[in-house]
Amino acid sequence: MSLSTLTKPWEAMSYGFLDGSAKRELRRKMLKSVAVPGCQMPYASREVPMARGWGTGGLQVSLTLVNPQTRVKVIDQGADDSVNAASIRRFIARVAGTPTTMDTLEADLIQSRHRIPEEILREDQILVLQVPNPEPLRPVQPNMSIARQMHADADYGRMWLQLYEQIVRSGRVMQGASYPSLVHGRHVMTPSPIPRWDVPKLHMAKHLTILSAGREKRIFAVPPYTRVEPLVFSDVPYKVEEHGHLTCTRSGTTGFFMNEIPRDDGTSSFEVSDSEWGVKTIRARDGDGESRGETWYKNGEMPQ
Amino acid sequence: MAYVATRGGERAIEQSERLFREEMGGFDRDRVEEVRKSLPYLIDRVMGEASLYDEDLAALALAQTGGELYEAVLLLRAWRTTQPRLQVAAPIEQDTLFTHRRISAAFKDIPGGQVLGPTLDYAHRILATDVLQGASYAPDPVEPADTPSPAYQPSVSAWQADNDLLDPPAEDPTKGNDIPDLTREPLLFPSKRAHTLQSLARAETGGVLALGYAAMRGYGQAHPTVNELRLAEAEIAVTHPDGRQFSAGRVKVSQAEVVDKKGEKLGIGYAATFGWNEVKCIAAATLDLNSPGAEKGSATEEEFFLYHTEGVESSGFCIHFKLPHYVTFQSSLDAMRDAKAKKAGQSKSSDMEPAE
Repeated sequence: MSLSTLTKPWEAMSYGFLDGSAKRELRRKMLKSVAVPGCQMPYASREVPMARGWGTGGLQVSLTLVNPQTRVKVIDQGADDSVNAASIRRFIARVAGTPTTMDTLEADLIQSRHRIPEEILREDQILVLQVPNPEPLRPVQPNMSIARQMHADADYGRMWLQLYEQIVRSGRVMQGASYPSLVHGRHVMTPSPIPRWDVPKLHMAKHLTILSAGREKRIFAVPPYTRVEPLVFSDVPYKVEEHGHLTCTRSGTTGFFMNEIPRDDGTSSFEVSDSEWGVKTIRARDGDGESRGETWYKNGEMPQ
Repeated sequence: MAYVATRGGERAIEQSERLFREEMGGFDRDRVEEVRKSLPYLIDRVMGEASLYDEDLAALALAQTGGELYEAVLLLRAWRTTQPRLQVAAPIEQDTLFTHRRISAAFKDIPGGQVLGPTLDYAHRILATDVLQGASYAPDPVEPADTPSPAYQPSVSAWQADNDLLDPPAEDPTKGNDIPDLTREPLLFPSKRAHTLQSLARAETGGVLALGYAAMRGYGQAHPTVNELRLAEAEIAVTHPDGRQFSAGRVKVSQAEVVDKKGEKLGIGYAATFGWNEVKCIAAATLDLNSPGAEKGSATEEEFFLYHTEGVESSGFCIHFKLPHYVTFQSSLDAMRDAKAKKAGQSKSSDMEPAE
């Protein structure tokens, strides 16, 4: 036996950039977070060659989950071609040799910032959401150690109070994105800053969602077929953005979450936020074949 | 295909990076060498914040980023985190530090003496503009003292402990791989002592200074007296697999002890870092001094200052606001517009039915 038989040839970096011990920790924390849905699990969160706050939490999860056959899709604000999505996709492909795709239906793993695609995800797909702030209690309790205790006690009174105060002051719940939601009837989580439009997609979803905050070093998950219920009062129903009636000026698709584009004449036009859905709609319109899958929303409404 | 799925984003980011790099042009080992030699204090600061002691890599990171400090530190941290943890070096006792500079503001003279060592403290800060006119700057040679100051010296706090002026912290028997490592586990509160010291050691200098200064100005309860400030070199003693201990070399370190009266004893705050960085150590030790019993949410509370002085995280989050936020913004707009419409509707109806 010699040293060379005991070691492997030198490589500039590990497969998927992260070393074995980092991946092992992430796997353990992912399993824990699946076991206790919606509960934030602290993890070491290694530095990756991207700035904190730019998807480093999602990236660490993706790099741990991929193998050379995993087909990866990366979106930012719904778009595959957004500069940071392009950068992350290129990085994963570069360090893990994964094939990439923009088609939601073709993807095995989707890393996303602030959106869930409009097409229904399957049981064999994993959604990785990038999370800037994992703590739904932050607006009422910025101190993380106290907030941790509040989760342990399921002490969510101040969350309810905050929602109530918004209704009293503004006539409605003013929460925009990151709508606090109760997972599996136990832990309140932030679904990451996805719009309210996307939150119902997590409820009893077929796919696994892993949410990871690299800077804040917390990971949590929504396992398949798990209840995700936005915090609402029984007499004030949950309201998604009023986008159901809007039409995309580029693709003509109607009934999905839109980006508002201000126009010179003071009005606005709209473009569908899920860029690949727009592309597929245009292809179908131009006779290039139908590639659209089934969507969560039908005619601008989420079926109950 | 009518609508080509946009490769524009990828082309744009590639060109934007080229534009950034074009300004500095190419570089080679000579430039790295020049950076290392001419900017030792910058190298020290970067090594401290990266928590990676390697002057060549630090110089390389500076050359590669054009001196964008946060980028340089991130480059080094991202490299460091992929490296295996081979060994934990033997603990370093204060009196084994090869000391270049060691001063105390608490006493006029201290056992071992006040050793000024290298410093700009008493220099007149006059810009050497004549260098730009073509003059060359040649510092006057150092004249050695008749009797050299001792290279190894006891700590001032050891003398204070002997004289019952302070209670030294209890010795921590944790050894080797059992010592908590902040780079391999999350920081939780109340923080482990090792995590606190590690976090301060790799904190961003400016951030530590800002919060430490706030504490010094009066937002803290304790007023620091610099008990001892030391610039030194530490011997890194590691153990060979066959059991022999050997030196893996020396690293530059700085440390500060600050004290304040707490009842009948002195309270003590401590910080140390890689490289010579006095401002950071004094500010960090001041935060450490102030943290016991600090109010939750105050600048001197452990959770507050450890989170907010982490340079890679704070700078990354700050620049992330440049990323598109269309979706979150749209979601807020929707709620605002709806609330406004509701209010308008309400006031209209109340105009018509004042009795309501």
